[in-house]
Amino acid sequence: MNRRVLALIVLIVAVALIPAVVHSDYILTLCVTAGIYAIVVMGLGILLGFTGQMSLAQAAFFGIGAYTSGWLTTHLGWPVWPAMACAMAMSALVALAVGYPCLRLSGHYLALATIGFGIIAQLVLINWKDVTNGSDGMTGIPAPVIGPWTFEHYNSYFYIVLVAVLACAYVAWRIKTTRVGRALEAIRENEIAARATGIDATRYKIIAFVFAGAYAGLAGSLLAHTTKFLSPDSYSFDQSVVFLVMLIVGGSSSIGGAILGAVLLEFLPEVLRPLKSSYIMVYGAAVVVMIIFMPRGLVGLFESLRARWRRGAPPPLGAAAAAEAEAA
Amino acid sequence: MHFDPVANLQLLVSGLAIGSIYALVALGFVLIYNAVGVVNFAQGEFVMFPAYIAATFALPAVAVFGGVVHWQLPLIAVYLLVIVLMVGFGLLFNRIAYYPLRDRGWLPVVISTIGVSIFLRNLVQLTWGSQPLVLPPLFPVDTIAVGALHIRPQDLAIIGVTALLIAFQYVLFERTTLGKQMRATAQDRTTARLIGIRVGRIVAITFVYSALLGTVSGLLVAPLFTVTKEMGALIALKAFAASIVGGFGSIPGAIIGGLTIGVIETFGGFYVSSAYVDAIAFVILIGVLLVRPSGLFGERVAEKA
Repeated sequence: MNRRVLALIVLIVAVALIPAVVHSDYILTLCVTAGIYAIVVMGLGILLGFTGQMSLAQAAFFGIGAYTSGWLTTHLGWPVWPAMACAMAMSALVALAVGYPCLRLSGHYLALATIGFGIIAQLVLINWKDVTNGSDGMTGIPAPVIGPWTFEHYNSYFYIVLVAVLACAYVAWRIKTTRVGRALEAIRENEIAARATGIDATRYKIIAFVFAGAYAGLAGSLLAHTTKFLSPDSYSFDQSVVFLVMLIVGGSSSIGGAILGAVLLEFLPEVLRPLKSSYIMVYGAAVVVMIIFMPRGLVGLFESLRARWRRGAPPPLGAAAAAEAEAA
Repeated sequence: MHFDPVANLQLLVSGLAIGSIYALVALGFVLIYNAVGVVNFAQGEFVMFPAYIAATFALPAVAVFGGVVHWQLPLIAVYLLVIVLMVGFGLLFNRIAYYPLRDRGWLPVVISTIGVSIFLRNLVQLTWGSQPLVLPPLFPVDTIAVGALHIRPQDLAIIGVTALLIAFQYVLFERTTLGKQMRATAQDRTTARLIGIRVGRIVAITFVYSALLGTVSGLLVAPLFTVTKEMGALIALKAFAASIVGGFGSIPGAIIGGLTIGVIETFGGFYVSSAYVDAIAFVILIGVLLVRPSGLFGERVAEKA
């Protein structure tokens, strides 16, 4: 068996053992949230990392998923699983409706249109009180059930999130390594050239946008059924920025990087606890430093360190810088 | 609802005032975009940060880092001081957020300006706390009566200062060497460099000028709202929407777009829905993007390659 596959299996088993070893509810909460964020960030990775299109509406799709799932289970009494599927479909559908006009635009226009959409979505969550219960929040969302088991506590919910993260990572990996992924990459590198080779760039950008929305929708639903309480504050522009930061820190075109970034930044506030409320400030500074000195994120850093270690001798400075610049 | 001409005129004046603020911030966006091909997502912090500095110097007692300062300088001195500080801020911003990334395409720069924006917003919270501050207006009276109209003098001040600034900018760009160099750099950096324009310096000046546009709008708008770490963000987003509605990259477009959004938003907030007032700008934006993506005055619709 391939060494990389083996390493991956060992890693997954190790992660799966966390609830058996760690008994702190608080740490498990962080793990579950980190996993949920990892899904959102992977979705953003498909859009930004693979395709080179910027979205700052990821929190809005996250919210649409959470509220769809919450509403279906509390108002209509649906079981959790079909509600979760609907939440995912709903976010994907809204992404299609938003993406269709917006992705005829590119670059800054898209970034801005998504900010605008994100703000409108949050205003709707706050003001559409019949459905969302406004700023008071939505309560009484049930936990998922499989046969006799109810996934009420974090130590069991952990596994639902783990399975979802793995499934999403697998889908993202399939996208990346097949024809679609190559088309997306061509669009990222040079849209005009991609169009010239016959790639329907608009269609592929919409596909990437819909995937980003679906991932965020699934994650939102997962969040709804674990916190059991939803408030519009959690789906702000700032939250979209946090998702973006997670992706950049991890490494934007790498699936592992997306997960790493989400986990790291979810736990970082704990590490930075001595800084109290100023940790977001450190986030901001970290983004600037990362983008200047580590354009491919932590994953890129690891890769270049490993390459250096393998070669035994440090590569000439110019070569490393050129490789970094090329990758960026 | 019956039609009341007086109320509508009052709405028009406040709409033009807030629209002027959007126009100034939109100009800041457009100038930086034209100079370096990148949208500065920290433009809102160019509005918020000077407002905090001004409040610190102007108010009788301000909590800074847990201590309390009592400078209470005269308003004019405060304005001058803030402008000087913001020149330094613009230079520093260019040096940190843009200069190291200047050859790496637009996305890294956008992300770095977002990073600076997060940093500044939280720096402000750390320094001044989360209590909003209230900057005094230029004129101590609340409203003045013009016939049947009751108008806030601050609104008139905003419209007046904006008109002056636009006139100043017109002269700067059309009549001075510096302005011509700025325009040349915006049109084609390589050619500008070839004919001997020091492009790096012109870009730095553009950042400073843009920071000053933000400063003026921050100082003008702060008395109408309160000074909070969020005050710049929404203004900047709407200003960006305005610059796209006007036609991105177009200076008259930014001005007209800003005024249009300000007026429509003010009327919409009054007649349609006050809960969704902040959504109006973005609904207009998405509408314009769908129907006429090049905006009202846009010719250069394509992103710079």
